[in-house]
Amino acid sequence: MIESCAASLVYSDHGREVFACRAISIDVRDGEFLGILGPSGSGKSSLLYLLSGLKQPSSGCIRYRGQDLASLSDEERSNMRLREFGFVFQQAFLLGYLSALENVLAANPTNGNIATLQNPNTVTPDSAAALLATLGLGEKLHRRPHELSGGERQRVCVARALFGSPNAIFADEPTASLDHKNGEAVVRLLNQHRGKGSLIMVTHDETMLDEADRIVRLVDGQIV
Amino acid sequence: MSSPTERGLSALPEAKVATTKALTKPLRPSTFLLRNAGKTVPLVSVIVLAVLLITGIVSLLNSIPLSIRTIYSYSKEGLGVTPRGDTSLTPKIVQEIKDNSPVPIERTMICRASSAMVRSIVGKWPFIVIGLTDADMRYYLRRQGASSISGRLPAPGAAEAIVSEPVARNLGLKLGSSLLGPNNTDNYSPHEVKVVGIANTDRWLMLNPIEYQRANHFPPVDFAMVFAKNATDQDTLDRWAEKRFKGRHAQVFAYHMLDKETNQGFSTLYRILDVVIATLVLVITLMMGMLINIYQSQRLVEFGLLQAIGHTRKWLIGRVISESALFVVSGWLLGVLIASGFLVLVKQALMDPNAWALNTFDTRAMLYTLPAPLSIFGVAVLTVFWRFRRFDPVGVVERRLI
Repeated sequence: MIESCAASLVYSDHGREVFACRAISIDVRDGEFLGILGPSGSGKSSLLYLLSGLKQPSSGCIRYRGQDLASLSDEERSNMRLREFGFVFQQAFLLGYLSALENVLAANPTNGNIATLQNPNTVTPDSAAALLATLGLGEKLHRRPHELSGGERQRVCVARALFGSPNAIFADEPTASLDHKNGEAVVRLLNQHRGKGSLIMVTHDETMLDEADRIVRLVDGQIV
Repeated sequence: MSSPTERGLSALPEAKVATTKALTKPLRPSTFLLRNAGKTVPLVSVIVLAVLLITGIVSLLNSIPLSIRTIYSYSKEGLGVTPRGDTSLTPKIVQEIKDNSPVPIERTMICRASSAMVRSIVGKWPFIVIGLTDADMRYYLRRQGASSISGRLPAPGAAEAIVSEPVARNLGLKLGSSLLGPNNTDNYSPHEVKVVGIANTDRWLMLNPIEYQRANHFPPVDFAMVFAKNATDQDTLDRWAEKRFKGRHAQVFAYHMLDKETNQGFSTLYRILDVVIATLVLVITLMMGMLINIYQSQRLVEFGLLQAIGHTRKWLIGRVISESALFVVSGWLLGVLIASGFLVLVKQALMDPNAWALNTFDTRAMLYTLPAPLSIFGVAVLTVFWRFRRFDPVGVVERRLI
């Protein structure tokens, strides 16, 4: 589904080239739970951003369902992320002025234009509420982020990532700011409710990848 | 790429929960503004205060030329001509006008006049007490739109006067009050001239018998008033007379001349006002620009997150610009509303009791308020584009920018 062909990502650090990823070739298959493991600074987050189209490779290519992401405009890549992908980040980024339910609705893959969907019922407030209820937040739909615990906030982020049943969910160390128990719960929820979608998760904690179908290890921007 | 409908959200339980409080489109511009009153209120308040300040200054300044036009608007109805150097010229002037006028003449009058004072918002202004025959006075009042009279007309030759309602209000006159008198420095006459009638018209008028004027007031000069049949003809006659008697032994008094002189007299003041308003707008815009920049800096996480999850840069810029447009338009409308309310209050409490003119919905004042919101909106748009010029959402989600 997602294919990386010798993709490299190079940063310029005061005129010096630094390889975040070095000629990485990897496939993400449909419905697969792929774990990306590595120490801090190994380039695992950079790889995730490459695979999700958030970053463009310095060389090589990234293909989604056979289409080179470099051939898409910035706007087309954004639309693809909104409609096809879900994201969970290290920090539980939520909009403080929206309720839990509204934060989930903010990731509406139609950007509010439900007329573009064949079945608009999949992205309604009711479906978002059902998703939150499934994640144990049924009683806290209308709470603002500051009224939720850290674990609950991250679960809202999980619901946001799952909303609209994306083809792939990218999780960048989603357990980093949580204790082990809450971290495990978040990974379990992501894995349980991703449906037919793939899950690509970056972590430095191998115990979070017990349910992964496949694990790749990164050291100094290279798969080892 | 398959659509979300094809990918199995239907697997989730159909839990019908209370979602009525949630917004279907939580990212619409009004949501941010309404739920972030701490940011919205200062922004809107600055615009409201700017509009209030500018409207107040311009409207009150405009009330001065408006007062001139209102107080002397009686001159719209008739052409006034006085002889110069030779008091015997008046009948000849009248005859010349009758013989050469480009429009039909309805009536001519020979009058006398003395001076008086009225109160304006900027001090005392000179006014004219016109001495007329009884027949001319009836015509003149009708011509000035007097629908009725409280009291009566002055008796021929008597020390009596009739004033219009705005004059009565301005000088605090009632029936029986003294309009002119020997002890009144501003409104002097050797005898006490009592108000015996108040004419119900918006025009400012002070009229008394021509016989009294001839017997008691100096200089002994008759002047002529010439009336055309309607306002259009009157204006034609006035403009013709201005050219006809230019450089000759006659002075012409006509409304269009007063209007022109008022415009010329206030043009310098309006140029100064332009500079003052421009400075004010600049200060407000700079202040708002800084405020908007701070608020946008505080929203980097929001912008980064929304762009990272797939909202396009174009959509985000559009959203922030819509928010700016919304608070600018709201602030301006609220400002106009409050300013109008404030001016209505000023008019009722201060201006009306003195018959002073004030336009509570002054188009010119409203136009002066436009540069402030427009420049604030311009700065907001520039700030948005500057902010998104090289904005990298990954910097936010990686926590490098926050």
